[in-house]
Amino acid sequence: MKTIQETRRRTPLQEFRAAIRDIIPLAFGVAIYGAAFGLLAAQAGMSELQTGVMGTFVFAGSSQIVAAERLVAGAGAFAAIVAGLALNLRLLLMTASLRDEFAGRPIWQVLLGVHLTSDENWALMHAARAKGMHAGYWYLVGGGASLLLVWIVSTVLGVSFAKALPDPRAVGIDFAFTAAFIAILCNLWRGVEDFLPWAVSIGCAGALTLLTPVEPSWALAFGGVAGAAVAGIFQND
Amino acid sequence: MTEQWWLILGLAIGTYSIRLGGYFLGAQLPSSGAWSRALTALPGSLIAALLAVILIQGGTADWLAASIALAVAMLTRSLPLTMIAGIVAVWFLRISL
Repeated sequence: MKTIQETRRRTPLQEFRAAIRDIIPLAFGVAIYGAAFGLLAAQAGMSELQTGVMGTFVFAGSSQIVAAERLVAGAGAFAAIVAGLALNLRLLLMTASLRDEFAGRPIWQVLLGVHLTSDENWALMHAARAKGMHAGYWYLVGGGASLLLVWIVSTVLGVSFAKALPDPRAVGIDFAFTAAFIAILCNLWRGVEDFLPWAVSIGCAGALTLLTPVEPSWALAFGGVAGAAVAGIFQND
Repeated sequence: MTEQWWLILGLAIGTYSIRLGGYFLGAQLPSSGAWSRALTALPGSLIAALLAVILIQGGTADWLAASIALAVAMLTRSLPLTMIAGIVAVWFLRISL
């Protein structure tokens, strides 16, 4: 006889496919961003090949956008790299929070999994799990692989068709991820015990951005850590 | 090597090091107690901070659209519906405000 636990547990392939299905709305947003990045990459003097290689091996949209923008501004490669990497600090915290998914896995799966960790599929995995779905390593990888493919295709097409694209801001598409993160945050709400950590996180990130010359990417990493620390100290197991 | 290739190389190596560094950091931390609770709370906390920073940099239209998206998210619990509502709301508010 099957227990409830067994029926709800899913095979790696089922998790992988569920992630591909669930990531579709986010993949549309990524495609629009990819096209916008391609436009910028063309301005930064990058070819289709360079854009494809960058998308494959960096796979971090916002940092690619900031770095390419710095290059267009004439800041030089080094300054562009530093600006892009500062924006990726949060990835350190994201892969750190995935330790239960990576624990006990062969090294190639860890090396693949960390590379395929991006904002959208990482957040989606946590949201799916908060809804009671069985979503672990293969859910993360399924979503990440889909986004990587969409990112490469859309950025390369963006370079080729740079002139024909509308400005994402003018049609409101730039707001797609803001709305997505709002929905995901609603799913992550576990109850009143989350109020204090989230308030501290928002307060710290907001105060640092508004009141100090700190870069927004540092402000958000600091806010996230402060909120997590409050949860560690004040919550009960 | 051109400036573009240096940028790609540096950003790729740096970003992968950050991602892998997080894995080693997570594996080092204790698996119970305060550290464990902090890591469990980290995703929600980080997304809350991300939204705060994004919205501070946006204008009134973004704030109103975010409120509408929040209402839709709480009522429907649906990711695609929240995204569509948010995009339509921000598009409409930016041209009317």
